[in-house]
Amino acid sequence: MDYLYDESFDGLLTCIYHHYYQVAATGIYPCASYQAQLMVASSEVKTDLILASRVYKAIENKISASALLLVYQAFLSALPGKENLILNYLLLGFKLGSKVNLLLTHPAVYPLHKIAAQVSREQHRFLGLLRFADTGGFLYAACAPDHHILPLIADHFADRLAGEKWIIHDRRRKLAAIYNGQIPAAANASGQSPWALVDFPYTDELALPQEEKLWQELWQHYFREISIGSRHNPRLQAQFLPHRYRPHLSEFQTLPQRE
Amino acid sequence: MDTMEKLSTLVGAAKYDVSCASSGVTRKNPGGTGNTRSFGICHSWSADGRCISLLKILLSNNCIFDCRYCANRCSNDIPRASFLPRELAELTMQFYRRNYIEGLFLSSAVEKTPDYTMEKMLQALRLLRHEYQFNGYIHVKVIPGSDPQLIYQTGLLADRMSVNIEQASEESLRLLAPQKSFPMLFSPMKQLQDQCQIYQEERKTFRNVPRFIPGGQSTQMIIGAGLDNDLTILQSTQNLYRSFGLKRVYFSAYVPVNQDSNLPAVASAPPLLREHRLYQSDWLLRFYHFGAEELLDENHTNLDMDLDPKTSWALRHPEFFPLEINRASYEELLRVPGIGPKSAARILSQRRMAAVSSDEIKKLGVVFKRAQFFITCKGIYASNRAFDPQSIRRILTPKMQPEQMTLF
Repeated sequence: MDYLYDESFDGLLTCIYHHYYQVAATGIYPCASYQAQLMVASSEVKTDLILASRVYKAIENKISASALLLVYQAFLSALPGKENLILNYLLLGFKLGSKVNLLLTHPAVYPLHKIAAQVSREQHRFLGLLRFADTGGFLYAACAPDHHILPLIADHFADRLAGEKWIIHDRRRKLAAIYNGQIPAAANASGQSPWALVDFPYTDELALPQEEKLWQELWQHYFREISIGSRHNPRLQAQFLPHRYRPHLSEFQTLPQRE
Repeated sequence: MDTMEKLSTLVGAAKYDVSCASSGVTRKNPGGTGNTRSFGICHSWSADGRCISLLKILLSNNCIFDCRYCANRCSNDIPRASFLPRELAELTMQFYRRNYIEGLFLSSAVEKTPDYTMEKMLQALRLLRHEYQFNGYIHVKVIPGSDPQLIYQTGLLADRMSVNIEQASEESLRLLAPQKSFPMLFSPMKQLQDQCQIYQEERKTFRNVPRFIPGGQSTQMIIGAGLDNDLTILQSTQNLYRSFGLKRVYFSAYVPVNQDSNLPAVASAPPLLREHRLYQSDWLLRFYHFGAEELLDENHTNLDMDLDPKTSWALRHPEFFPLEINRASYEELLRVPGIGPKSAARILSQRRMAAVSSDEIKKLGVVFKRAQFFITCKGIYASNRAFDPQSIRRILTPKMQPEQMTLF
């Protein structure tokens, strides 16, 4: 039986629950893009938060906390078919327990480790590549990551820029993480995140004040001056900083004309 | 000079200092702006391929010293500029809140006297930490010859400090930087090390001991300016790690900026490959448990330019190879060219569940192109000939690209 879910993490965990307590799953697919198969039945799974949290705790206790993190990272990736990778990994994991992460070359473990590592690498990159602009009332940063890393980087900025209002806009997914400058007292107590993930369908470029353009120009000057001419190495630079990340970095835009 | 021009001058003067990591310290934001992450964060990469993590800048390039290799030496006729401490603090904060940088890397030419310069740097740090409530990463260069009290006060506010040793031997240093000497450079390094040890001891008893350079100290050597060979450089590096407990020794290939009889010609290229081999040797010293005496000795005083130092060592010691990877210990695995600490740990993890077979080796992150000659996998060796250092060297040495001949 193919299970169709609503593309949320809780939905995926509910499917895992149904695999064990109802009919065994032959695959898990997102509802929106599923094509009905002739020989395989399919059913839509309604997300149940209680069942999902039971599976969540089971992964943490019966397998390991690191397995839970790997599954979450794989879920945040943009890989089509990630749900089946996660399903196969968890089946093996519930059988073997924490030892599953030692079987590095197993066909159910290796692809999951690979995709989780890609997500983790991109998250680390974006901690550095995100560029904020001061719009006068708040800080605004736009990005277009390959994977859905917004939930992974927002905590870092909520701590670093705790006194500022900011928006991190994922242009590719039309989502944004927003933070309003104060950690709500309730969030601290209940362990909830101080920032919120919202839909953000706006596509226009933000108009920036003159002072902001000055700081961007200073940064561009810094970027140009810090390089040593006789060590010029664009291939090495491209290895570290692929071209697809450059459109949102102010140092790679053309320098404005000075009056 | 306006801010843009001052920035360009002082950044251009600071760019030859390569020790620019933002790692080693974890600090959550206690209320203010900024935090640090122990893994360090690269924010961009410049056109020469180097990582940009900190705002690397001189407080002033108006130097009274006359070190032969330095672009800022007092006998050079170049535009001189200085920042006020407040200008520098404002620049750092504005770059930081826009996530351009992880923090500040502050150095300076020796303006008027070492104490005057160190005092100005301390003022900038105080502004940042106390008034602007900046909690990001700060790396400060120690001005040789400055007062120990000033160094101590700075260390309470900075995350890392460093003293540039510049040359591996005293003779080279005296030749190229007549106003500096080894005792003058070693004494602040000893002070920093002692103070860090005092902090470790007191922390065992008292909870609220003020932190002193939690990221430790580092140093930098210029490669290709003096006449030291690689053996001297590596021995000096090892001694520095052992005597002063440094976190890192950096190597900076000399970029000829000055005309001088004791220095390479201005038109010559910087020794980038040599610098790369020295960094590879530095990694072997720190992570692979090699000793400097294993890599180089009186018969081999310079590193092999064709092969990396580990492969060079492996070919000189055929008695260790080929190694069976299903039986080798962690230390033995680290000695195989193409296997590093991460791949060695993964091999050991995998071995707890099942033997490693030859088609699985590449998945564990081993560089099979190099490692295949030095290992056997379940008894099977990659080649059908016995282990032969000469032919392996021939295969691994990079081939010379054929040059297009010209007719005239």
